[in-house]
Amino acid sequence: MIRALADLHLVPVPGDLVTNGLAVAVVALLHVQVAAYLQGAAALSTISQGIALMRPDPRHERFAHGLVTSMAYVFGFGAALAIFWVIWILTVLWGHAWVDLSIVTFWPLVFEAGAFLSEIVLLYAIYAGWDRLSAYPRARFGMLVLLTVAMWLQMDFIDVVASYMLTPNHGDTNQLAQVLNPTSLPLQLHRTVGNIAWAGAAIAFYAGFSYLRATRRQRRRREPELAGARSVGAMAATEFAGTPPSDAAARRGYLDWVGQWGVLWAVMMSLFQIWIGYSYAKEIQLHTYSAWFRMMRGILSNVFLAQIFLLGLIFVLGSLYFWQRMRASGVSRLWVQRLCFVGLVLATLLAVQPAWFAVDEADVIAAHLDRPWWDGGLLNPIGDFIPWKVFALIALMVLGLTSATSYVRAYSEGRVRIGETTRRLQVVLLALGMTVSVMMMVMGVIRENGRQPYLIHGELTIQHQQVVTGPGP
Amino acid sequence: MALPTLTRRQWLGITAAGSGLITVMLTLPALGFVLSPLFQRQRRETYRVGPVDDIPTATPTALTVGVSSGEAYDTTRVDRTVYVVRRQDGSILALANTCTHMQCNVHWSTELNQFLCPCHGGLYDLEGRNVGGPPPSPLPQWVHELREEDGQTVLYIENRYDESI
Amino acid sequence: MSTVDSERTGLRGRAGEVYGWIDERAGTTELLHKGLYEAVPRKGGWAYTLGSATLVLILLQLFTGIFLLLEYVPSFQQAWISLDFLQHSDRFGAAVRGMHLWGAYTLILIIGLHMMRTFLSASYKRPRELNWVSGALLFFLVLGLAVTGAMLPMDNAGYWTLVVVTNIPHYIPFIGTGIRTLWRGGDFVGPIALTRTFAIHIWVLPFLMFALIGGHLALLRRHGEFGAWVNYSTSSDDPEREITGRIRAAEPPYPTKRIERRYAAPRETVNFFPFQLGKDVMVSIVLVAVIFVMAFLFGAPLDERADPSTLTYTPTPEWFYLPLDQLLVFIPTTWLIGFGIFVLMGAAATLFTILPFIDRSTHRRPLERPEVLLPGLFFAAMIVMLAVLGITRLYNL
Repeated sequence: MIRALADLHLVPVPGDLVTNGLAVAVVALLHVQVAAYLQGAAALSTISQGIALMRPDPRHERFAHGLVTSMAYVFGFGAALAIFWVIWILTVLWGHAWVDLSIVTFWPLVFEAGAFLSEIVLLYAIYAGWDRLSAYPRARFGMLVLLTVAMWLQMDFIDVVASYMLTPNHGDTNQLAQVLNPTSLPLQLHRTVGNIAWAGAAIAFYAGFSYLRATRRQRRRREPELAGARSVGAMAATEFAGTPPSDAAARRGYLDWVGQWGVLWAVMMSLFQIWIGYSYAKEIQLHTYSAWFRMMRGILSNVFLAQIFLLGLIFVLGSLYFWQRMRASGVSRLWVQRLCFVGLVLATLLAVQPAWFAVDEADVIAAHLDRPWWDGGLLNPIGDFIPWKVFALIALMVLGLTSATSYVRAYSEGRVRIGETTRRLQVVLLALGMTVSVMMMVMGVIRENGRQPYLIHGELTIQHQQVVTGPGP
Repeated sequence: MALPTLTRRQWLGITAAGSGLITVMLTLPALGFVLSPLFQRQRRETYRVGPVDDIPTATPTALTVGVSSGEAYDTTRVDRTVYVVRRQDGSILALANTCTHMQCNVHWSTELNQFLCPCHGGLYDLEGRNVGGPPPSPLPQWVHELREEDGQTVLYIENRYDESI
Repeated sequence: MSTVDSERTGLRGRAGEVYGWIDERAGTTELLHKGLYEAVPRKGGWAYTLGSATLVLILLQLFTGIFLLLEYVPSFQQAWISLDFLQHSDRFGAAVRGMHLWGAYTLILIIGLHMMRTFLSASYKRPRELNWVSGALLFFLVLGLAVTGAMLPMDNAGYWTLVVVTNIPHYIPFIGTGIRTLWRGGDFVGPIALTRTFAIHIWVLPFLMFALIGGHLALLRRHGEFGAWVNYSTSSDDPEREITGRIRAAEPPYPTKRIERRYAAPRETVNFFPFQLGKDVMVSIVLVAVIFVMAFLFGAPLDERADPSTLTYTPTPEWFYLPLDQLLVFIPTTWLIGFGIFVLMGAAATLFTILPFIDRSTHRRPLERPEVLLPGLFFAAMIVMLAVLGITRLYNL
């Protein structure tokens, strides 16, 4: 056996560095979107089922059911994708890294797989038994809690592996040092809240999209009614919609409610990201300085600005939604919301100021143009992180929280009436969903590129991946 | 003899003046006592740190010297660190290892090639300039001078920094 | 005469006579009666034990603190030596110090839970606003005691806490550096700094604290325990009539004055003695037992003697200051540090203290007042997450 292994030689893998990297990236980005949604949706369905236990609210019960159904649909695809990713993409294209990583972080990966198996059992049991469990809402809630815990543990253990790749503590393979490596807990918090925010945004997207579809049908149907004749076409339209008008209004009300619920989660959870992300970046600075430098001062600095723009956009869109949603219900005195919106736009603009009008800070210094732009240089002192952007981040947090709080206050006082929404507002929901989705992809690009040329920082480079161990000639 | 009659207004006036006097008598000395450190001068002393001819460039060298705070009755000397940095041109920096953020103990990290403050992750370069994290200003230097003694250059410091941090 | 007293007290013979003599002059029985026979809402009694547990823990701190004073020397040179002697050469010295430390930890935890309970049940609303305000001030005093106490041992941990905390005021514009000088007695942390901190820890803060505790308890007795919304539900078809009946039959201190009729008197009450007091005593016994065990198992750590020249020691705050410590990581430059610490933190502390004057709606159920619950939970989650991030930062240094 050992002799047989010794006969193996290094042979090049199919494809070159760029195409393989691209294949890995595409599958990874898709995988992240699916997995993050599942984890966030599990948490949100548990919360809704919990609220439904406390107060008889059929909307929360229905919402939890809808989420479980969506998870059951998405999970199959997600599992297939993950298996494809591990078996084919990782093993073949990046065999070295995968084998090394599997040896070093063996136990986290084993626990991760275990959590995956328990998810399958729990999710399909809940999905298939939903109606049968309707008399036992507490049991349903308990199973959902277990599912959320399993989902969270799975993410937790894969985060140990992922953060280890970025900050391996000089390759310390001690189990506790792996689990508590410098970016492990920050990444876990970052993803825990980020996944819920993404699930909220995705739900808002779904609600907006469905609302637009439902009202378009209604509009089409109304035309023959206005003509005063029940034409065959109108009857067909009613048939197609499948619901009498009063039910359609109820459905619109439900979609409106789901939309604002999703936006609330997306905004509130993203508020945490401001300082979780800050701590995360700080750990990278202290423990993997080269990666931090690429992200903040190197070639990724402008990509990172795009990321900050998207983060600001979440709050701007959220605040716009809250403001206009209150206006659609005829709430008077909206100055708080107006102020928050304007403040958030300004804070976002301040936060995305580039510090240099070039790709890389090193380029600016090399060209001897490290002067403010008003002195003919390429530097923008307003784009400094300190203190301007710190200030902008504080403003984002305070104003975002104020906007959301002002909205829930109006809601709790009954001034926001469910169902009184507009088609235009649904576009904001669509934009919010897109923003968070794009943001996750940009984050993935920054993550993977920041570590370049390493796969495990300081230990294993990407060039190694272009060869695999195969049988000799 | 008839008792003097006072109106309520007069009575209140006298009482208020009396309490005011008592208040002044009690607070003025106490306040002055509490505030006295503001007006006290610290005793300035000079300490011999040691010869610095063999200090390498490109990395700071930590030297220790007993320093008195020079405050009030304090004459005991407590060990403090002086980070000596020799520049390319031969001049010397005598940096204090006191972070300008929260005055924690800064140390030179060979891994980062920077001074690191472990409290809140402040970073300074070799010259003591604040280059990362929360510190608002560069590392302070001890007030120092170089004296020639027996053909050696010897570093002396005073028990204060060259700028208030 | 003594026969009358024995009827009231159950004491016979000589003991009854002595008690009767005292009672006649001091009014003990009446006082006990006032103190013990009060109506308390029936539901949620275990949650109300947190307040009395806080009081017991504060008294425990006073008690163990007095014993530590028998040996500790507040001197820059000798503080550490005296504690080192106390730890290693005195029998039970380490245990007493351990109880003082674990008592402080438990106190902060319990006071936090007590606050959470009051916040969630909206007990702070009219007319109990001042209960909340005095409680919030007490919380700040306890935090102040905790941080000044951590400075006293003059080991590395205490010394660096003293350095960092006395440095914070200098970020106040204009007068900040003066305050730092006053606290430290100069530019460096020297003998004066320790003595002043000692005086604050031993006299100034406890003095304020016991005054406030008196006020807090007097207010509690005046308005009665609010409890929570569960104590005010109505079950009949005519809630108005049910509430009127409740108010009419209420035992003192109910019905609460200047409150919405619905919340004037709980649906069912029990006597403070023995029902609520029994629960209070049980919880307090468990807590003191936990402190006792922790003190003997883990004690209180005493680091190496303070070394201002150290290059290897990593100053770490106590766990309850980790969130604030993590915030310090985020804010750079002189004016932003000042803004962050004094304006933002000050605003947060002020909002927290004046919460009853912000949240003035009549709603008491958590889900009916999301506008308070949402920011409240946000900041609670923020504190927890900042602590986690702080742990990861310090673990990996």
